[in-house]
Amino acid sequence: MSANISMRDALYEAPGPKTQRRVRIGTAISLVLLVAFIAFVIRQFYINDQLNPKYWSFFARWTTWRFLLKGFIGTIKVAFAAGIIAMALGLLLMLGRISPNKVLSATCHVITDLFRSLPSLLLIYFFFLVIPKYGIRMPAFWMITVPVALAASGVLAEVFRAGVNAVPKGQVEAAMSLGMTHGKITRKIVLPQALRIVIPSLVSQLVVVVKDTTVAYVVSYPDLMQNARVLISNYDALVSMYFVVALIYIAINYATNQFSVYLAERSGTQVLSRVDENPV
Amino acid sequence: MPIETAEPIIQMRHVDKHYGQLHVLRDINLDVQKGEVVVLIGPSGSGKSTLCRTINRLETIDSGEILFEGKPLPQEGKELAALRAEIGMVFQSFNLFAHKTILDNVTMGPVEVLHRNRKDAEAEAMELLARVGVEAQAQKVPAQLSGGQQQRVAIARSLAMHPKAMLFDEPTSALDPEMINEVLEVMVELAQEGMTMVVVTHEMNFARRVSNRVVFMADGQIVEQNTPDEFFDHPQSARAKDFLDSIKGH
Repeated sequence: MSANISMRDALYEAPGPKTQRRVRIGTAISLVLLVAFIAFVIRQFYINDQLNPKYWSFFARWTTWRFLLKGFIGTIKVAFAAGIIAMALGLLLMLGRISPNKVLSATCHVITDLFRSLPSLLLIYFFFLVIPKYGIRMPAFWMITVPVALAASGVLAEVFRAGVNAVPKGQVEAAMSLGMTHGKITRKIVLPQALRIVIPSLVSQLVVVVKDTTVAYVVSYPDLMQNARVLISNYDALVSMYFVVALIYIAINYATNQFSVYLAERSGTQVLSRVDENPV
Repeated sequence: MPIETAEPIIQMRHVDKHYGQLHVLRDINLDVQKGEVVVLIGPSGSGKSTLCRTINRLETIDSGEILFEGKPLPQEGKELAALRAEIGMVFQSFNLFAHKTILDNVTMGPVEVLHRNRKDAEAEAMELLARVGVEAQAQKVPAQLSGGQQQRVAIARSLAMHPKAMLFDEPTSALDPEMINEVLEVMVELAQEGMTMVVVTHEMNFARRVSNRVVFMADGQIVEQNTPDEFFDHPQSARAKDFLDSIKGH
């Protein structure tokens, strides 16, 4: 949180008495508007009979939650597997792209851009509809995990590359002057610092992976979204079910973000090199 | 105090280098003897840093040749890395490994390049850190140290490789005034112990007190070189006279 405050301090000067008064008035107005909006939503729910107990009572049943929990575990499994694969593949693509070998570099560049620009749904259809035609059958789990991972790997490769580029050149020069070889410099000096730099963008990309898993229904994989759809048709409770599922997705992604804050704090911003480059 | 041994460790022959249109090094010929302290001075943009960086091939050259211990610099790969391991380098912006502790910074070279065992490397690293007066900071990370302390660690990091020669690329230019002396003192000690040093600097007192030879550069050329007393008291060229006039009072 302190980071946000210092960012605000850096962007705006300290408010004077007039501004403070204006800020107080603005805060009061927005509070009123917020309350009015919530009241409006509840009223709409009421008018449309969405508060009717029949739409909510099944949440009191253990079986509902057990079914949702199964879907939740499915989502976590896909997201976790896809996240790991995407990070590994993204790292490899980036390393290939920054390699001095021109052919390897160009190939990885093309693959990265391809995965980055293809919608993940299109990749899913490819694995779901095209590949089975050539006799390759995979379980539904992999039909959703692989395309989601591929789509994310392109973006992650770019995230990693941004991190590598952000490591000051002086770090590499110092390592070279000690007689370290290219591979060792990459492993011991560049990557450890690059990864620390990109933790925030890395995690926001993993949030996108979690959201991408929601198209698992295409391949009938029982993730949270798919199971929610089953419950919706069973109980005819569209709004209430999507409302609850939305809260669960928000919780998952909030937890992911908190994890990134923890990681960033643990690795310590002070260990990032902030030396200005000033060659003569 | 000219060095008489005439055993050149660094030899530069007709070295030329361009950055696009800019001719940064023009027909550089320079020998550095074993145990000699050579100071490179000159106005900003004169090519002195570039010259310094060509010696361990952090900068490549267009033509001419550079010999270290009589052998041409390797162009790439393991051979080049092995050569760099024999030449210490201290940078203007310290360039300590930001994600490593001070101790790990000093042991990085011996452990990763010379394949020494960590225990021995750490013992020697602590001795070196004590020698430059920062042993109390061994477990901190670079960002927690002052600039002067960081630069002394950088010197210790180079010394841990037992280099045959050391390059200093404006080692005090990024330091607050009160920290310059603590770094210069370490360098004076090194010079007195007979380390071969090539130093790019604006510290004229250091040049006068410690160096065997002052090399004055302008526009990518070596304009004149002489013993420090001769150079500072009787500069020959107009460029050198102008330069010395412009920095008087510093």
